Amino acid sequence: MEKPRLSASGVQKGIQMLSKITSYAVVGLEGVPVEVETDINKGMVSYELVGLPDAAVKESKERVYSAIRNSALRFPVNKITVNLAPADIKKEGSQYDLPIAISLLVASQQLQGKTDGTVLLGELALDGSLRAVTGILPILISAKNKGYTRFVVPEGNANEASYIEGIEVYALKSLREAYDFLSGTPFAPVQVRSFEQTRASATYNCDLALVRGQEVAKRALEIAVAGGHNILLSGPPGTGKTMLARCIPTIMPDMTFDEALEVTKILSVSGELGEEGIVSLRPFRTPHHTATTVSLCGGGNTKIKAGEISKAHRGVLFLDELPEYTRSALESLRQPLEDGKITVTRAGGAVTFPADFILCASMNPCPCGNLGSKERQCTCTPAQIRKYRSKISGPLLDRIDLQVEVDGVKYEDLAGESDGEPSAEVKKRVERARAIQRERFRNEEGVNVNADMGERQIKAYCRLSPECEKILRAAFERLHLSARARSRIIKVARTIADLDCSERIEPNHILEATSYRNFDSNSER
Amino acid sequence: MYSDTELDVIAADGIKELNYKQKKLFLASLSRANADREKYKAELIKIIGDGVYNKLRDKFLSPDFREELIAGYEKRRVECVTVKSADYPYLLKNTPVPPLVLYVRGNRSLIDTRMLGVVGSRRTTAQVIEQCKNICAQLSAHVTVVTGVADGADTAAAKGGLETGNVACVLPYGHDADSTPTLREVEKNGLSISEFPPMTKAQRYTFTLRNRVLAGLCDGVLVVSAGEKSGALSTANYAADYSRDVFAFPYGIGVSSGVGCNTLIKNGAYLADCAGDVLRTLDIEEDVSEQPELDGDERAIVNLLKSEGEMHAQKIATRLNKKLTDIITVCSMLEIKRLIIRTGGNTFSAL
Repeated sequence: MEKPRLSASGVQKGIQMLSKITSYAVVGLEGVPVEVETDINKGMVSYELVGLPDAAVKESKERVYSAIRNSALRFPVNKITVNLAPADIKKEGSQYDLPIAISLLVASQQLQGKTDGTVLLGELALDGSLRAVTGILPILISAKNKGYTRFVVPEGNANEASYIEGIEVYALKSLREAYDFLSGTPFAPVQVRSFEQTRASATYNCDLALVRGQEVAKRALEIAVAGGHNILLSGPPGTGKTMLARCIPTIMPDMTFDEALEVTKILSVSGELGEEGIVSLRPFRTPHHTATTVSLCGGGNTKIKAGEISKAHRGVLFLDELPEYTRSALESLRQPLEDGKITVTRAGGAVTFPADFILCASMNPCPCGNLGSKERQCTCTPAQIRKYRSKISGPLLDRIDLQVEVDGVKYEDLAGESDGEPSAEVKKRVERARAIQRERFRNEEGVNVNADMGERQIKAYCRLSPECEKILRAAFERLHLSARARSRIIKVARTIADLDCSERIEPNHILEATSYRNFDSNSER
Repeated sequence: MYSDTELDVIAADGIKELNYKQKKLFLASLSRANADREKYKAELIKIIGDGVYNKLRDKFLSPDFREELIAGYEKRRVECVTVKSADYPYLLKNTPVPPLVLYVRGNRSLIDTRMLGVVGSRRTTAQVIEQCKNICAQLSAHVTVVTGVADGADTAAAKGGLETGNVACVLPYGHDADSTPTLREVEKNGLSISEFPPMTKAQRYTFTLRNRVLAGLCDGVLVVSAGEKSGALSTANYAADYSRDVFAFPYGIGVSSGVGCNTLIKNGAYLADCAGDVLRTLDIEEDVSEQPELDGDERAIVNLLKSEGEMHAQKIATRLNKKLTDIITVCSMLEIKRLIIRTGGNTFSAL
């Protein structure tokens, strides 16, 4: 290809050297358009980048310089000013390399093609090739809503970009290709892929059938998922609490495309998106117990990042060894557990991330872990056990509807050899129960599953027969249940009834629900 | 109100500078009725000296000191039962070192009733906690259940006794130096007893002193749980010394929270596994309690648990050929009827 011929300085006298290229920034989970303006003028040779760039953006100069040179193009030697507008948003990340390079080429009149209405994104390597960047999906969605239809992205982001219909995305390998594309050379846009196909081919690598025994806990998981309840598993170490928790996503209903987009957006911005380009399996997040409040909820000084609870959106947040987490980290979960979202406010602004997840927590029954174990003796005093359990505050426990003990015994000792039920079977029942709930809460704003019910909905949808009332009252008296356990038991009983396809809550549903409350009554031990 | 002799004892007990023996000498030396009082005075002066004796005597005799003391106790709602009081427990009075004053709060009439001590260790298994509560509830219909204030077995015993209100806690510290929710309940419906003036802090030795009072008050002592070295054993030893009946729960081999109980039985304590065992030995007639009604599944589970002991829900389901969820439901019902309890890890045990 022939190089455009220009004077030695790359500037022709008397012609205005100004260009404007559209790119995008990500604020929270939303894309915001950024104009990359380049002005080349006479004067002392210099290169100024303005418009609140951060370190990565400032360094783009060196990458752009080398990439242009190594793409057999010319880097203009003049007074260059690059402006990223609007000037009041902090510009972060490396996606501005490509638009800056292209705008330099336009301003220096090496590139004369049509650049209006095309959104350019991409990081440049020194040899001119394009590297993948984060946050492509939220940018594409926001830009599409703004009316942009033509995008140039690095080839590495092709998969992520392939699920949005109604736009043309060109996934290119290098600056040179982008140059050719904008000069008019035809390239094939990225093929739109169907989410259903991707989802069908994705599988979880665990299954309830693989967990031996633990039938009580499995049943509790089924109830938890069916009603969207949070669940606490307590039991001695090494009894398979983590394994059980990992199976929760496998019995949750398949994600819809919209849900998948929500999840993908978060992971895309966080730079944790895998090869597939979209998340089709429900997320399962296990932050370590040293996790700080910020890492759980999200934060950051300039760029506010999503925390673990948002990355667990539409999936499961698993907190292993719950009492080991810091008090403040646990308390920070209370509001998102209630609202399904979290607003992180920092000096740099406020961002709302979705955080609608099932909380699954696990803990030992006592500090030594052997309370209730048949093989080993517990060496803890009641005071130690109380202290250990009191690390989990009442308000947090209030939001955990199911509290279940896992077995500390070998399954063979209980029922002999037999195979467990596969996740797919359980999932069918869960989906049926969820369908009943969707129908029930059709007209209720913000209530999708039984766990979301407030006092008003409990009154409306969980009417108890006199017999149930009697049992519930007896249970409270005899089992020393706390007052706040009441609505929890009723909500769980509602879910059990839904799993049973029963219109009314029957006494046996109440009775089963009372058995999943070991924290309320054991407190005096 | 207190009589003059009672006031003397209360005032003497309120002098912090003297120990138990010195207080006794002090009282004897100042007693109008005592012919040998000069002898006691000489003996005490030999120990504490002339000056101190005179100072303490002045304090003892000063009406201000006495008024302040009594007003302070009244403000704390603490009553004094002195060795000179008519309702001072007869059994305790006849032990070698009866407390000069018992400071009590709550239902004072319980102090002179027939008492049974129920003690155990802090580390007691869930099943025994529940048994202890049940047995104490039954026992308290006939005798006053006397126990300590520690976690575990003591608290369970107090809770059982609270069902009828015939319950007393003997404190290892003075009133208001410490408290627990259960103790506050007991003080509302039962009685708390301490030989230490209010606000006396608990020390290591006060627990042993307390055990002596507990054993001294009671007709018998039931030890529900005790490790190899447990405070409950000290109470049992005092009870044996005072020729009271000692009862103990039996335990299996290798249960560390029951080693002490088994040792007691080996050494001649009565084996007790129900309220009837205790009541029969104490020559008290028990009333026959009616059995709650059970349906087929409920009876099957109770019988299975009774014959084979502790069992996991899954195993019950397998044995009875039922669905697990049904078993969980029935077990919840039985739990509410208080016929079985959870013993951790989804296992159940009959009571």
